Amino acid sequence: MRIIKRAIAGTMESSDIQIVVEAGQGIEIELKSSVEKQFGNQIRKVIRETLEHLDIKDVKVIAVDKGALDCTIRARVLTAAYRGADIKEDYNWEVIN
Amino acid sequence: MLGLQLEKKRIFLDDKEEKRELEEFLNTQNIRLDENVEYTVGVFNGDELVATGSLSKNTLRSIAIKPEYQGTSLLNKVISHLISEAYQRGNTHLFIYTKPESAKSFNFLGFYEIARVNEVVLMENISDGINSYLKEISTQTVNGKNIASIVMNANPFTNGHQYLVETAARENDALHLFVVSEEASIIPFSIRYELVKKEIEYLDNVILHKGGSYMVSRATFPSYFMKDSQEVVKVYAELDLTIFKKYIIPTLNINSRYVGEEPYCEVTRTYNETMKRILEGNNMRVKIVPRLQSKRRAISASFVRELIKKDEIERIKDFVPISTYEFFRSKDAKDLIENIRSNTGRH
Repeated sequence: MRIIKRAIAGTMESSDIQIVVEAGQGIEIELKSSVEKQFGNQIRKVIRETLEHLDIKDVKVIAVDKGALDCTIRARVLTAAYRGADIKEDYNWEVIN
Repeated sequence: MLGLQLEKKRIFLDDKEEKRELEEFLNTQNIRLDENVEYTVGVFNGDELVATGSLSKNTLRSIAIKPEYQGTSLLNKVISHLISEAYQRGNTHLFIYTKPESAKSFNFLGFYEIARVNEVVLMENISDGINSYLKEISTQTVNGKNIASIVMNANPFTNGHQYLVETAARENDALHLFVVSEEASIIPFSIRYELVKKEIEYLDNVILHKGGSYMVSRATFPSYFMKDSQEVVKVYAELDLTIFKKYIIPTLNINSRYVGEEPYCEVTRTYNETMKRILEGNNMRVKIVPRLQSKRRAISASFVRELIKKDEIERIKDFVPISTYEFFRSKDAKDLIENIRSNTGRH
């Protein structure tokens, strides 16, 4: 899957994460989190794994996290990625599992 | 504040009652209602308005949270909502004006400072936004002792613009010419840019640039495109020129900015006066060039548009270079002329 435009999913409300994806080179993740010290690496890992599941190789992700659980992070990354790839059907929801 | 029944609702400014309530709310916090917004959201606790924010294209405006509710997640709620709304409207590079004491809160929400003047901070939602623009223009750096700059809208390109460009090109080793790229003028950027390009091709020390988001744009100088009070115009002008001074000048080693004298438009005149005040000094000067005259009047793009509006295309010949004239006589200009005729906006 290829990211062709800047897209967003999620919010900056408590327990959520705002994910912005845009075209990039390689996978680059810029993270701002209220729990950066404790969970920064884990959040990055979940984002990266979700992207890899979708076979996205070139993307810049800007994430603003407000304490989201892993399942929320996956769902938000997935939605932002589909929007950024301009795909509107045949979603592969498998990656959430 | 847990257990509040908070509800998000769109506020319509056409509705007098809703508008009055919003204005009163903003007034209590010394924030003015921006008349140029196209989308406003309110968060209500029951019937009471407790937070609000608005959108004007790619800028977030008039954001306020009731003091008792500050420090809760209401700001996050409002900003998240406005960001999603802006994305849905196709605007993804977003800007926000805020007070210095709030800059930190917005940084936690993914906004980064570009510049600040007199209690106003301009922020954007991309961490390397301005740097990537600077990287782009820096590929066109030229060496020389005297490097000039001009920022113009060229709506459309006139003999006056031509004269200004020629003067700056002649008096300097090189000239960086920026054409305002905001699509807020009646003539689309692509046409304005092409007409400038055609007429300056013979000047080999002129480097043409796209103005981008950081000079005379909706974000940096909205008053150019929308009506604002004189006081507000000044603040925006300071902001726009501070960005030019802080980022553009050092990137391209510019040491002068040329501008046409402004006999007609008050907004542009304020902008020019502010330019002298902010930019001059430290090996940088501002040169205000008297307007070129034709038929005993100073040439201006607004007068040219006025003639087009009155269906007197032939008369523009005295005020514009040949390629602009030929363009407006061509078939390609048909729709545009129609638009100019029905246009009531500033530009």
